[in-house]
Amino acid sequence: MKRMKGLALMVLVVGLSVAFAAQAPATTLGTAPTSLLAQAPRLERNIKVGIVDTYSGPAAVFGTDALNGFKLALAEINKEGVLGAKIDFVTRDERFSPEIGLSMARELILQEKVDVVVGTINSATALAISSYVKDQKVPFVVWISKSEKITGAKGHRYVFSTGENTAMAGRAIAEAMARRPYVKYWLAADDYEYGHEITNSFWKFMKRAKPEVTLAGQTWWRPGEPDLVPYLTAIMGAKPDVVFFGTGGASMANVLKAVKTTGMSERIPAAIHTAIDHAVLKPLGVGAPEGVVGTIDYLWYYPDTPANRAFAKAFQDAYGGPPGFPAFHGYNTAYFIAQAFKKARSLEREKFIDALEGLSINTPVGQVEMRACDHQAVLPLFLGVTKRTPQYDFLVATSITTLRGEEVMPSCDDIKKARGQ
Amino acid sequence: MDLSVVGSQLLVGLSRAMILFIVSAGLSFVLGVLRVPNIFHGSLYMIGAFSAFSIATWLGGQSTGLWLAMLAAPVVAVAIGMIVERALLAHLYRREHLMLILFTWGVMLILNDLVKLAWGPTYRSIMPPAALQGSASLLGIALPRYNLFLLLIGPLVAVGLWLFTQRTRIGKIARAAAVDQEMVAILGINVSRVLAVAFLVGCYLAGLGGALVAPTTSITLGMDHSIIVDAFLIVTIGGLGNIWGALVGALVFGVTQSLGLLVWPQFAVVFPYLTVVIVLLLRPRGLLRSVW
Amino acid sequence: MRQGIGESRSRGAVAAVLATLLLLPVVLPVFYTYIAALILVTALLAMSLNLVLGYGGIYQFHHAVFYGVGAYALALTVTKAGLSAWIGFLAGPLAAAAAGCLIGWFCVRLTRLYFGMLQISLGSLLWIIVLRWYPVTGGDDGIHGIPMPSLLASPTSVYYFILAVVALCLVVLYRVTSSPFGATLQAVRDNPQRCEAVGVNVRRHQLVAIVIAAGIAGVAGVLYVALERSVFASMLFWVLSLEILVMCLLGGWFTFAGPIVGAAIIVALRTFVGRYTENWTMILGIMMILLIFFMPEGVMGFLLDRLGRRPSAVEEEALAYPAQTAGKGG
Repeated sequence: MKRMKGLALMVLVVGLSVAFAAQAPATTLGTAPTSLLAQAPRLERNIKVGIVDTYSGPAAVFGTDALNGFKLALAEINKEGVLGAKIDFVTRDERFSPEIGLSMARELILQEKVDVVVGTINSATALAISSYVKDQKVPFVVWISKSEKITGAKGHRYVFSTGENTAMAGRAIAEAMARRPYVKYWLAADDYEYGHEITNSFWKFMKRAKPEVTLAGQTWWRPGEPDLVPYLTAIMGAKPDVVFFGTGGASMANVLKAVKTTGMSERIPAAIHTAIDHAVLKPLGVGAPEGVVGTIDYLWYYPDTPANRAFAKAFQDAYGGPPGFPAFHGYNTAYFIAQAFKKARSLEREKFIDALEGLSINTPVGQVEMRACDHQAVLPLFLGVTKRTPQYDFLVATSITTLRGEEVMPSCDDIKKARGQ
Repeated sequence: MDLSVVGSQLLVGLSRAMILFIVSAGLSFVLGVLRVPNIFHGSLYMIGAFSAFSIATWLGGQSTGLWLAMLAAPVVAVAIGMIVERALLAHLYRREHLMLILFTWGVMLILNDLVKLAWGPTYRSIMPPAALQGSASLLGIALPRYNLFLLLIGPLVAVGLWLFTQRTRIGKIARAAAVDQEMVAILGINVSRVLAVAFLVGCYLAGLGGALVAPTTSITLGMDHSIIVDAFLIVTIGGLGNIWGALVGALVFGVTQSLGLLVWPQFAVVFPYLTVVIVLLLRPRGLLRSVW
Repeated sequence: MRQGIGESRSRGAVAAVLATLLLLPVVLPVFYTYIAALILVTALLAMSLNLVLGYGGIYQFHHAVFYGVGAYALALTVTKAGLSAWIGFLAGPLAAAAAGCLIGWFCVRLTRLYFGMLQISLGSLLWIIVLRWYPVTGGDDGIHGIPMPSLLASPTSVYYFILAVVALCLVVLYRVTSSPFGATLQAVRDNPQRCEAVGVNVRRHQLVAIVIAAGIAGVAGVLYVALERSVFASMLFWVLSLEILVMCLLGGWFTFAGPIVGAAIIVALRTFVGRYTENWTMILGIMMILLIFFMPEGVMGFLLDRLGRRPSAVEEEALAYPAQTAGKGG
């Protein structure tokens, strides 16, 4: 029986410490009224944004980049203010774990009482939080995860996406590849959600755009597999016309390296969404393979417009490197939030959502609309081919063509069908 | 199936096995002599890779710099490993294994955040030295030169380890300590110093593995996680604490992986685990004799 | 054994703790009620591991698998089979116990680290099934918004439900550990050879312990779903198993309540320290190392020690010398 007392004592201690911890934030936060008179064009407190994202581990590079873009925009926005108020934010590191991410979203909503939740690179976390905010009726803006389910089959009133998704990317790259003469395809991808989604989406649109294509085979490797040479030599042995890689992040760099070292780039062409991502090509330097076809929704050197140059320069000055696509999403997210509150003239969540639906903002690449029917930002996609140029010590995308968002997005009817409405 | 394809898969698998062997031999040596299941072995491997990048960049990124980086990067891993060993681990050798797992995992968490603070979250990459770039032909099979280089390095390391454990005094004592530490102590030998040297060898091999893998992959946070499970699985199927077991285990691991890819590429993710399950069900204490 | 006064004091303390726990939702903001519930669920998971780890001395390295299996069994019962969640609440622990029996049946043939590594491999194969079987499990996106009975609609009712089930399971665990079976299990831990010699079927005892522990981990899994209404493939990943292991060791794996303390520390750390620093894993690492140096028997062991209740001699010996005895024994 002696251990029962230990149990008792311990639970007491835990209970007390939890209770004690509960005191501090409760007193400092106070109570904030969430509604305002509509005719008063001033908000009586600052807007609070809660960010859940990954800031440790291999995916931290995305989370950090998006956050930097967001901070850059806030610096501009808060200079003039939003209806007399500012936008504040807090961040939480979910460490790429959906359990932790979901728990942190709860904390941001229940304890920090944020007006908007923003996140995350991890699609499992994004979907879990999305399901939770639906119950809580709190707006949630997804800014990096590319899962098409977020604003597709699992979409609802409270979730928005400011980044491109696998439905758009798969279709864009499929239509580009359909114009090339290849027939025998090999699909190779990271064995996790993004790899499967982008590959399935690509293959679905590929077969639609060019019914005669055949599948020579497919390879799935563990995410984070360090050395992909054995995988690629096996694929090369099967001699397909072309390989589609469904990969991203650190694995992308591994794929590109292996494509170069195995000599595959000289024999079999490759197509990959985000292959022309500067965050991947820059570290590889001249070790990256030429001739890889890639799509992406943001390049800091294209389009070469004053708006894009200004954004890229401001970002470079602030953070010591050019912005990647997550930074672009983060930057736009801040402006979407600010403009929506200005339009809503209120801190009320429902009014914010009404204002954000169909809202169009100026971005470094031109006007971007938040489509009302599915809450998906209508982003253009850029298609390019990696190439070595004399002025840089890394590869860049060349022969870039632009696909407008409307061309590659599923129609509102498709979305309704996917949501079972 | 084309025979040359099988041949090239076999060679590529063997070259991959060499890095796995180098890392797991270090882990197994520490397991055998110190009886420490060292989880931060993976962190040292990651630090070896990041250091190779930094040293190569600092030396200008040319061939000489890359060769020097491969030599110097393991030293960084050794330095960090030895600080941990002398300051902390040396006081814990008599603790329960689970406590040592807890301790080494704690060190892994700390090193992980320190690497993030030192190198930031972005990917890093280095090229192989110029002489090792591109492909070469071996018996009519085209193979990346760097993989051929790994095929040479692996046996060299194995021979070096054999000489160390069989031919040097301290290596012999370390082997004896693996079997019976108290007996070694009774003979008037400073066991703590022997253990430190054994740990140093383990750290060196982890750092060397990281430096060798660096040119083939992107150097990123999280490398520690992916290697440590593989290394433990290899050490287990080979026989805990037996460095030759690590060699056999790594070969089994690397070759089943690469040949499996020819047969069943869509399920590559199950190969490592399936290999371990089969080996352990047939030989519950690993392939070679274990000191555990 | 100093019973009598000790026992009545213990009873009083348990009653006080129970009263505190019952009052928590009344006095705490809703988020802290949620955190308390999360701590209870995690604590139950850690306690179930400690049955095999602390009492059985079994290297149960992939315990999270059973937690995940329980959670997925409930999720699939509701979302795929379309049955009532109450059936799922029973199916979860049963599925977890079945998984425990299957994996355990292979593993008990092996000892210590070999046991642990085989379990990691077998568990990872289950994890891969969950990860790859997209049409059923949703892959690594998991399943979200799992509908729960209206009785479990409010955070407070979920909390009381979890508290009741956890309390019940703790009673079961306590009974198991203080039963003759529990005593034999501890004897097996301390000296498997001797037990074998006097006719104890070591493997069968270990297997039974694994099945019980897996079943209770399954209970924790279904409670997690009741709380979060989501399941994730990462619930079956080895990193979580390592975290549970750490909870047991931090709290004190030779004490009955130790794992609860460990679970509370880990959950509280990641919830509250994560607020102030992105490098909270480093803080966790530093804390772990400090504990190993200054509280080698875990927080609970340390507290019991201070209260003048040292662990029994057998346990102390096991703490000090297992590396040597095990190395020669195996």
